[in-house]
Amino acid sequence: MKPKALLSKVGLWSATAAASAALVIGIAPITAKALNIPTEVTEDGKNTYKKYCSACHGEEGKGDGPVARSMLPKPRDFTRGAYKFRTTPSGSLPTDEDIYRTISYGVPNSTMIPWDILTEQQRASVIPVLKSFSEAFEVRKPEAPVDVGLEVRPTEKTVAEGKKIYEEKLECWKCHGVEGRGDGPSAAEQEDDFGFPIKPFDFTTGKFKGGNSSRDVYLRFTTGLNGTPMPSFAKELTDEQRWCLTHYVISLIKPEETSK
Amino acid sequence: MKQLLFLCALFGFLSWNVISSENTLADNYTEVEVKDGGTVVGNVKYMGDLTTLSLNLYADFELPETSKSATEKLIVSTVNNGLKYAVVSITDITKGKKKAIPAIHPIIDQQRNTFIPNVTAIPAGTTIDILNGDEELHTVHTRTVKNQPFNLGTTYKQRISKTFEYPETIKLTCDLHKKSYAWVVVLDNPYFDITDRNGYFEICDIPPGTYKFQVWHEELGKLEKEVKINPKELSNIEFVYSQY
Ligand code: HEC
Ligand code: HEC
Repeated sequence: MKPKALLSKVGLWSATAAASAALVIGIAPITAKALNIPTEVTEDGKNTYKKYCSACHGEEGKGDGPVARSMLPKPRDFTRGAYKFRTTPSGSLPTDEDIYRTISYGVPNSTMIPWDILTEQQRASVIPVLKSFSEAFEVRKPEAPVDVGLEVRPTEKTVAEGKKIYEEKLECWKCHGVEGRGDGPSAAEQEDDFGFPIKPFDFTTGKFKGGNSSRDVYLRFTTGLNGTPMPSFAKELTDEQRWCLTHYVISLIKPEETSK
Repeated sequence: MKQLLFLCALFGFLSWNVISSENTLADNYTEVEVKDGGTVVGNVKYMGDLTTLSLNLYADFELPETSKSATEKLIVSTVNNGLKYAVVSITDITKGKKKAIPAIHPIIDQQRNTFIPNVTAIPAGTTIDILNGDEELHTVHTRTVKNQPFNLGTTYKQRISKTFEYPETIKLTCDLHKKSYAWVVVLDNPYFDITDRNGYFEICDIPPGTYKFQVWHEELGKLEKEVKINPKELSNIEFVYSQY
């Protein structure tokens, strides 16, 4: 018997599968320019983190830097590996690309700015530094990103279907409010996993923290925002229903309030 | 081709089994045959004041007349002061009986805005099915670091299966019903039990030796005791929590 040989064959096969999956995911704009994200912490990464990030996120990534005290939302505490904006399922660690995206895009309505003053290489170099703050990355691997199907064309019908889901099936209004202003009956009592108060997002503002595209909105309620009360609704809807809900959520944006 | 792949996978699996014949499941627990094991039966008591007890959240579900509860946290038998939902375990055992993972998934059901049961104890590697028995939205939210956390919105009749890989004491909460929660106690060996409504527990097939027994209760905390186990003998132990 040659168990080792067999094993390595199976291994090779799954590696090929993973590689082809990566190719498909690679269509996402950020990874289009083959970005080199280091797997180990580098001097460059450490220096970049110290210089640009530690004032808020803290020397050891606990979200307790000197200027963090009076801030809300708090700078992320990286020690739990809980990242809000991901393409991976509820509770999963983010992919490196997810982290890269947040660093580049920033988090609207917070002090986390888009770090486009840094070079792409600098932004990539801090990723292993952030990961090194949490033991979660030692014991777990990020799960594969969720499938986002081809977008259904938004019509009156999809928006109406989405409204039904928002109001009846999934009861998003309990937190986000009927008009999407983040003022549902359960809104006031929400807190994040670190014990800080957190407000359900006000859709009317239109400045989505995780990005404004329909794909972004689809991903947010499909994967949930880790470390917050915003749950994942992965098992509750078909792909088409997801797009309907996405269209409805986007229809709640009030352009006149967006400009405020 | 499909068949071939399947065979490959099957062979891979079989050979993996051969390679890992050591049978080390967790880092610090080894399965061995236990021939002359001893048994511990015992009782966990709460001797504090019961007169202040009023609200009984479980009244509709499973608590008989003879039990009283202050909150859903503290359920005490009025007959013998037995404490329900205390988890008794051996904390320092490294070798012993097979760690049987329950083939039928234990269930935690959200009914009338309450998680039932309130406490579940399982060996690491067990899958639990989480149900929503209410015709409204619930969420199930955990905040673990080693076990992958999750936060899922669930609707009526949803069933979610979650496997807990690492020993940890985990709180499940619902962000829409802030009062309700459940505990999942994940243990790294099979020597544990959860007390019944009269506070009784039983742990059997313990290899002879001296071990640390621990009882954990969400409100009353932990108590510890060293117990000597003799071959094929039955020992009796009692844990007593005083006023809380
Ligand atoms: C001025 C303070 C500040 C600085 C400096 C700062 N951040 Fe942040 N960062 C924040 C805040 C606040 C949040 C949380 C926003 C929220 O949750 O709404 C955050 C969140 C994040 C997240 C969380 C993403 C997620 O999915 O949850 C990442 C990653 C991050 N920052 C990386 C960085 C990096 C890398 C740097 C340095 C280049 C940096 N931050 C510098 C304030 C800051
Ligand atoms: C238990 C309360 C709760 C429920 C129920 C809930 N949400 Fe949320 N949601 C939140 C909170 C809190 C946030 C904000 C998290 C943050 O700011 O970090 C949020 C954020 C979001 C975001 C992200 C916005 C952004 O900034 O990118 C989207 C999209 C969203 N929710 C959609 C939904 C939809 C759709 C539903 C129903 C299917 C829903 N939510 C149900 C609490 C909830």
